[in-house]
Amino acid sequence: MFNLVIGQYVPMESRVHRLDPRSKLISVFLFVIIVFLANSWLANIVLLLFCYAGILESRISLPFIFRGLRSILVIILFTFFLNLFFSSGGRLLLSLGWIHIYQNALIQSVFIVIRILVIIVVTTLLTLTTSPMEITDGMENLLSPFKKIKLPVHEFALMMSISLRFIPTLLEETEKIIKAQAARGSDFTSGSLKNRMKAIVPLLVPLFVSAFKRAEDLAMAMEARGYHGDTGRTRLHKLVWNRRDTVMMMIMALLAAILILVRVSGCW
Amino acid sequence: MTHIYNSKTPFERAALDHVSLKISSGSFTSLIGHTGSGKSTLVQHINGLLRPSSGSISVGDFVIEPQKKKQDLKPLRARVGYVFQYPEHQLFEETAIKDVCFGPMNFGVSAAEATKRAEECLTLVGLPSLFWHRSPFDLSGGQMRRVAIAGVLAVHPEVIILDEPTAGLDPHGQKEIMELFHKLNKNSKLTIIMVTHNMGDAALYSDQILVMEAGQLKMSGAPEEIFSREQDLRNMGLDVPETMVFLDKLTDKLGLEKGRPVFTLSETADRVADLLNGGAAHV
Repeated sequence: MFNLVIGQYVPMESRVHRLDPRSKLISVFLFVIIVFLANSWLANIVLLLFCYAGILESRISLPFIFRGLRSILVIILFTFFLNLFFSSGGRLLLSLGWIHIYQNALIQSVFIVIRILVIIVVTTLLTLTTSPMEITDGMENLLSPFKKIKLPVHEFALMMSISLRFIPTLLEETEKIIKAQAARGSDFTSGSLKNRMKAIVPLLVPLFVSAFKRAEDLAMAMEARGYHGDTGRTRLHKLVWNRRDTVMMMIMALLAAILILVRVSGCW
Repeated sequence: MTHIYNSKTPFERAALDHVSLKISSGSFTSLIGHTGSGKSTLVQHINGLLRPSSGSISVGDFVIEPQKKKQDLKPLRARVGYVFQYPEHQLFEETAIKDVCFGPMNFGVSAAEATKRAEECLTLVGLPSLFWHRSPFDLSGGQMRRVAIAGVLAVHPEVIILDEPTAGLDPHGQKEIMELFHKLNKNSKLTIIMVTHNMGDAALYSDQILVMEAGQLKMSGAPEEIFSREQDLRNMGLDVPETMVFLDKLTDKLGLEKGRPVFTLSETADRVADLLNGGAAHV
């Protein structure tokens, strides 16, 4: 029932999987920024090609990623039509009652859809090819300079890995409670909106109770095994920055350069 | 009334593979099998929580088929109660008694009638009335379990599905809960279907035992019949009741033949007395 592709990790062997999580995180961060440089057809095609190459390299099947995109189709369509109807400029293409569609609006809408699409594909690619543990390790490592100004980076990373770890557990729990309440005649899927909202209470209360209980148990178990926070902690998996990570950084720099060039030169 | 369950379910990894069985009303049926053998999946079909991929399930005149998309399952769920594993995790109301009323009121029973039923059922499960108006989260694990069970009983189902009802309870609580369901089965003619890992409970209370392995129904029959096939059970990683283990060890020591399986303590005592007398006669 919970069929989410976004945020899932697919353990496989590929060059993208083998990249250091830090280089992937930096790349995605950079990518999300430089995407906003693209305001021409050429730049957008470059972005799409980059995504396509990334998917090919990761060996994750294209249909699998598309299946994940289906869940955000509504958001994409909404943004598309919102931009289409409410921006103006250029030639008037179509006029239906109060709806006026201008050429620039159409182009802008397409660009925005591409922008959302590539951002989602790239971030999905990150989570599909990097295990949650790697991501948090990478984050903690990248943010470690902030420890100097007393930011609780380790605690933050720990919080993140714990929440990621418990998402599947809580989903399972939710499914179980839904079933248990459905067996007692509660109905989450039909009836008026008011009734459905009411049906959420018997689901949420047990879920919170069990989440708090789990948190308590986990804290106890961690302390029992001598957890004492960040200082003096060693790691089982050390992060290693390889040549391929440097190459990845080069590729990102190149992509940024291309996008800047295209923008400055004002190509179509 | 006959229930015919005929679910053939290639459910993802074929959690159930062409399972076909009948459970007659008023009977006490136990499902045993290794973890992941499809026991819980099978019983979740009985009140429509899961839908078969192929095949069908009939409960009385109610038929569940894979083709029927939307179907009002409420009437079925009013007739088939389901006590989940660790049912205390489903409690949510402010007071125990309100939580018990939740089920009946969902099925359209008036508040007054629901309260009456709740009081009856809480008495039945043996929760002292001083706890009725307390928050269910202030109760002990065993008491919470009783409240949850009362919540299912208050719907007045004809069939009750139990998924490991005694897991995690102390031995005394386990016995009380099992005796309660035994009584309900015998006196109120409630059909009971129980998933269990406790061979002793399965042997002691059931009319019929179903043995599952890897999504398939491997054996079905009366407890004596099932537990006589000790070797087959052991091959599936299952055990026999402790009374039998004890008697087997005893007959081994005395160098005698294995006897017919017995499950209750008094029968076991009789058998031991017989064996010892018989053994003494040989000397």
